[in-house]
Amino acid sequence: MSNDNAPIIRIADVSKFYDQVIALAHVDLDVAQGEKVVIIGPSGSGKSTLLRAINRLEDISAGKIVVDGFDLDDPTVDINKVRMEVGMVFQSFNLFPHKTVLQNVTLAPVKLKGMPRDEADAMARRLLDKVGILDKADVYPAKLSGGQQQRVAIARALAMSPKIMLFDEPTSALDPEMIGEVLDVMVKLAREGMTMVCVTHEMGFAREVADRIVFMDGGQILEVATPAEFYTAPRHPRTRKFLEQIL
Amino acid sequence: MKQQGKVVVEETPVVIDVGDGAAIPKASDKGLVSAWRISFAGALAVLAYLLIFQPDPYLRIFKFVPDGILITFQVTVCSIALALVIGLVTGLGRISRNKHINLIASTYVEIVRGVPLLVQLFYIYYALGRIVQVPDLLAAIFSMGFCYGAYMGEVFRAGIASIPVGQTEAARSLGFNRAQTMYHVILPQAWRTILPPVGNEFIALLKDTSLVSILGVADLLRRGREFASESFQYFETFTMVAVLYLIITLILSKLVSIMEDRLSHHVKR
Repeated sequence: MSNDNAPIIRIADVSKFYDQVIALAHVDLDVAQGEKVVIIGPSGSGKSTLLRAINRLEDISAGKIVVDGFDLDDPTVDINKVRMEVGMVFQSFNLFPHKTVLQNVTLAPVKLKGMPRDEADAMARRLLDKVGILDKADVYPAKLSGGQQQRVAIARALAMSPKIMLFDEPTSALDPEMIGEVLDVMVKLAREGMTMVCVTHEMGFAREVADRIVFMDGGQILEVATPAEFYTAPRHPRTRKFLEQIL
Repeated sequence: MKQQGKVVVEETPVVIDVGDGAAIPKASDKGLVSAWRISFAGALAVLAYLLIFQPDPYLRIFKFVPDGILITFQVTVCSIALALVIGLVTGLGRISRNKHINLIASTYVEIVRGVPLLVQLFYIYYALGRIVQVPDLLAAIFSMGFCYGAYMGEVFRAGIASIPVGQTEAARSLGFNRAQTMYHVILPQAWRTILPPVGNEFIALLKDTSLVSILGVADLLRRGREFASESFQYFETFTMVAVLYLIITLILSKLVSIMEDRLSHHVKR
């Protein structure tokens, strides 16, 4: 469907309004295969809305989003098929509390891809090992710390073998001492070549992993830059002000 | 695992209050527990006293009505099963995005809630009779199920609504469609909230089945009336009937409270 040069995510002139509020205003952004894009910006800047539009958890009012060759607004496109290729990690983990850790990971591949149970279990254990939480495979999420839950959530998303991973402030709900363990998993994933779009406030992570940093405010993208440019020579005055406030 | 870093995922206890059942005793509510004990012990004592010291007519009544108890349970269990099915469909209809389905479900609930149960029983019984000839028992079950389905629909709707939206988003983001999300993720969690009020409705329904005696179904109350109309011992008969109903509902409400405890314990896991 897509050749190597075409971006795997194309966001073209996307706008979204709630009643009178403008959440996104004429946003353009392409993400190449294997690229890591970090979106930062003050709260209410539209960064989460943009991220959630990529797998259509948010509908958009205008514009076009194409993911892996699928136009999300095309009525013949099965959005569920697209979502299987796009993993998502939420701020609040959203693990299924009635399932064990292992079942959280295997549920989607078994029910949606018809993967045999033993094969799914083996794969889930590999993924849990990868996120460093294999020993908790048979406990329920309520027994886990936030950092552990979030790593399970990452494993759950990876279980569908997605081409793209979306992270919506994955460390914002965590106690400080747990942020590292989650970021480590994300860095590992980035090194393996996963296409990643992350909304985060973790500047260290952005600096280390991002190919490009996108700065948003007021529903608009104000600046797109490499981490080096972004942190040393931000062009937009709003970016400078934001960086002064947080660094 | 560091205790201080433990994140407790918000599990707000949601209580669906459908207030026409017997008061369900809670362990935390000492007063009610003792009220339950007093009622239960009292009912058993009265029963024992009457059977032992005044076997005539009480023992005769006691031997006459058990068929009725069986019918009462039959009507209750079958009606609640039907009500659960109708309730699930109605509950899903009430949260449906489809305007028409939503409107139909809401209208059904509105109408059923607005007409007295006894009137509904008569109406459905005679309306059904115009179309098909069904046994009285079946007509009674259908009527009770139809009515309680509306209440059950509200229980299901509230139970489903109590599950955080993040659960739906997580499931949808994995590629589950709306129906799969409901089936695999939402309903298995919602039943914990739904089950206690369903138990409550069961008790309420059991008491309301006494209404079907009017349709000629030989339930506990009907059997009592049959006995009384032959023996003219109305006071004695209905004393016995009342005590039996009380004992049954007290036992059931205890069972529901045990179930509630188990469920909340399960959540704390």
